[in-house]
Amino acid sequence: MISRKMLVGTIAAAVMTAGMASGAMAETTIGVVAKIGGIPWFNAMEAGIEQEGKARGVDAFMVGPTSADPALQVRAIEDLIARKVDVIGVVPNDAKVLEPVLQKARDAGIIVLTHESTASVNKNYDFELVSAKDLGEAHAKLLAKTTECKGGYAVYVGGLTVPAHNAWADAAVAWLDENCPDMKQVADRFGVAESVDDSRNTTLDLIRAHDDLTGILAFGSQGPVGAARAVEERGLIGKVAVVGLFSAGQGRKLVHSGAITGGYVWSPLEAGRVFVALGKMLAEGGTVSDGDELPLLGKIRLEGSNIFANMPLALSKDTVDGLAEMGL
Amino acid sequence: MRRMVGSVEGILFVILLALCVVLSLATDSFFSMQNFFDLLNNQSVNIIFAVGLVVVLIAGGIDISFSVAASVVQYVVVVMMIQIGGGNWLLGFVAAMVCGLALGLFNAFLIHKLRIVSIIASIGTYNLFFGLLMYLTRGRSIYAIPDWLDERVALLTVGADRAEATLYLPALVMLVVVSVAWFILARTGFGRLVYGFGSDPEAARRSGVRIAVMQGFAYGWLGLCAGIAGLMQAHMVREVVPNALYGRELDVLAAVVLGGAVLGGGRGTVLGAALGVLLLAVVQNGLNLLGVTPYAFKAIVGAIILIAVTFTNFDKVAPLIGLSNRKARTT
Repeated sequence: MISRKMLVGTIAAAVMTAGMASGAMAETTIGVVAKIGGIPWFNAMEAGIEQEGKARGVDAFMVGPTSADPALQVRAIEDLIARKVDVIGVVPNDAKVLEPVLQKARDAGIIVLTHESTASVNKNYDFELVSAKDLGEAHAKLLAKTTECKGGYAVYVGGLTVPAHNAWADAAVAWLDENCPDMKQVADRFGVAESVDDSRNTTLDLIRAHDDLTGILAFGSQGPVGAARAVEERGLIGKVAVVGLFSAGQGRKLVHSGAITGGYVWSPLEAGRVFVALGKMLAEGGTVSDGDELPLLGKIRLEGSNIFANMPLALSKDTVDGLAEMGL
Repeated sequence: MRRMVGSVEGILFVILLALCVVLSLATDSFFSMQNFFDLLNNQSVNIIFAVGLVVVLIAGGIDISFSVAASVVQYVVVVMMIQIGGGNWLLGFVAAMVCGLALGLFNAFLIHKLRIVSIIASIGTYNLFFGLLMYLTRGRSIYAIPDWLDERVALLTVGADRAEATLYLPALVMLVVVSVAWFILARTGFGRLVYGFGSDPEAARRSGVRIAVMQGFAYGWLGLCAGIAGLMQAHMVREVVPNALYGRELDVLAAVVLGGAVLGGGRGTVLGAALGVLLLAVVQNGLNLLGVTPYAFKAIVGAIILIAVTFTNFDKVAPLIGLSNRKARTT
C-alpha cells in the first residue's frame, strides 16, 4: 500500500517538475477568445493561430464560446487570466462589456490584443487587417479599372444605418469622385444588400432607368449576388461591373461566369496568425510605432493604440475556390 | 361591373392604373414589356403568399409564420431532392406542397384542437420553425441547388431595348394559384361558408358548419401556398438562404390588408390581395425608376398605404365628414 502511495507521489512530483521545466523554458502562451466557436470564419482563424503558433514555437490556442454572448467572452477571459497566459487576444462581441475584465487582465500584467474593435479602451493594441478607408478604396479602384472610369454606378449597403458598410461606401465614393470625375453615382445609396431579392430587383430597375449604368458597388452580404443575378439575366456580363464583398461559397459560380467582377475582404486566417506573431513580439518586449514594418502586417499605420495594416484579401477568379473550400 | 366600381378592388385598381399612367409619363422606362414582366416575375412569390394569407384573414384568423414556413419547405425540399439524386419539377412541387400543407395544418391543429389564439399560435410556430431551421442547418445556405430548380424556366420571351424581356415560370404558377383560390372563394358554396365562418364563427357553428374543416382549410391552404412560394423563390434567386424570407410576412400582411381584408374576418378577396401586392410593388419600382433618394422610400411607401386605405374606406369616411358638417351648422 505504501509503495503505491509513494509511486503516486513520485509521479505527481515528476509531472510538476516537468510542468515547471516547460514553464522555465518560458514558452509564450497566447489565448485568443473568438466571438463564437464552430463557424467557418473562426475555424479559419483558429487554423491561423495554430499554424503560426507551431511556426514560432508559441503555445497558442483559440477559445470559442458556444454563442455570440459577451458574458461568455468575459468568463473565457477570466479563465485565461487564471491560467496566467502571457497574451490575451479577443475579437469582442461587445467592446463595452469586456472593458472591466480586460482591465483586470492588464493589471495582471497580461498583454491584451483586440481585433475588429478599435473602440476598445483597455487594450495594448487593436489590429485591423484593412481600414474602412482602404477597403472602400480597394473596391473603388477595382470598379474604376473595370469600367475605365466611364458611365454611372450605384451603391448598395446592408442598411442605410449600418456603420461599417456606410464607412466603406463613403471611402469608395470619395475616391471615385476624386479619381474618376467622369463617373457619376446615379442615385443615393440603397439599403437593399442583405437581401438577394431586393438587390436583384433594384438592379433590374436601375439597369432599365439608367442606360449609362456601368457598375454596382455592393456592400452587404447578399448585394453582389443579387446584383450579379440581374446582370446575368439581362445578358450584361462585361457591360455592368458588380464589385463588392460576398461569401466565396455563395458567389463562386457568379465570379467564374464573370457576373461578379470581384471584391475584397480580410482573411480570418491571417488575423489568427497576426494574433500570434504580434503577441509574441510584444511579449518579448517589442514595441510598435507608426510606419513600422511588422511581421505579417507589413507597413502599418498607428492611430492611438489601433494598428492599421493594408492587406485586403482579393475575392477573384483565382481565390474564390480556395476560400469556398474553407467555408468562407 | 357596378359592384366593382365602388369596391375596394375597384378603387385599388383605379389607384394602380393612375400610378402606372403617371409613371409611364414621368419615366421612359416604366411602360415597357420588360418592366411589366419583371414586376410579374418578382412579385409572383409575394402574390402567392398573399393569396394564401387572404384566406386565413377571411376565415377570421391570422398567421405570421408562413414566410419562415416557406424557408423551411425550401430547405427540406432541396435537401431531399439532392439526397435522392436530383429529383425533378413534379417531385419538387409535390414535396413542397405536402411539406407546406403539413406546416399549415400544424398551425390549424394548435388553433383548433389546443384552442390557442391564432396570433399567439403563429408567433409560437414562427419562432419554432425559424429556430429549428437555424439550429438544424446552423444557418448554412445551399448554393448548389438541383439543375432543374436552378435553370430558369422561361414562358415567353420578347425582344427589348437592353437584352430581352422574359416571363418565367413563377408567373404562371401564380396565375394558377390565384385562379384556384378565386374559384373556391367566389364560385363555390364552400367558399361562402369560409366567409360566413369568418364573420361569425359561433353562428356558423350553430348552423352546422364544421369548424375543424374551416380552420384546416384556411391554414392548410396558406401552408400549401407558402410551400409553393418557397419553391418559386428558390427558383428565382437560384439558391436557398435560410433567412431570405424572414421578415417578408409583414410586407405581405400589409399588402393583403391594403387589398381589403380585415383582421376581424369575413372580408377580403383574392383579387384585392393581388392588387395590394402589385400596388406596393409598383410604388417601389416607380421610386427606383424615378431616381428618388432611397432615404425617402419608407416615408413614401407609408404615405401611399395610408392614402390608399383612406380611399378604399371612403364609403365609411364620407358620412362621418358629412355628419360633422351638419353638426357644425346646427350649433
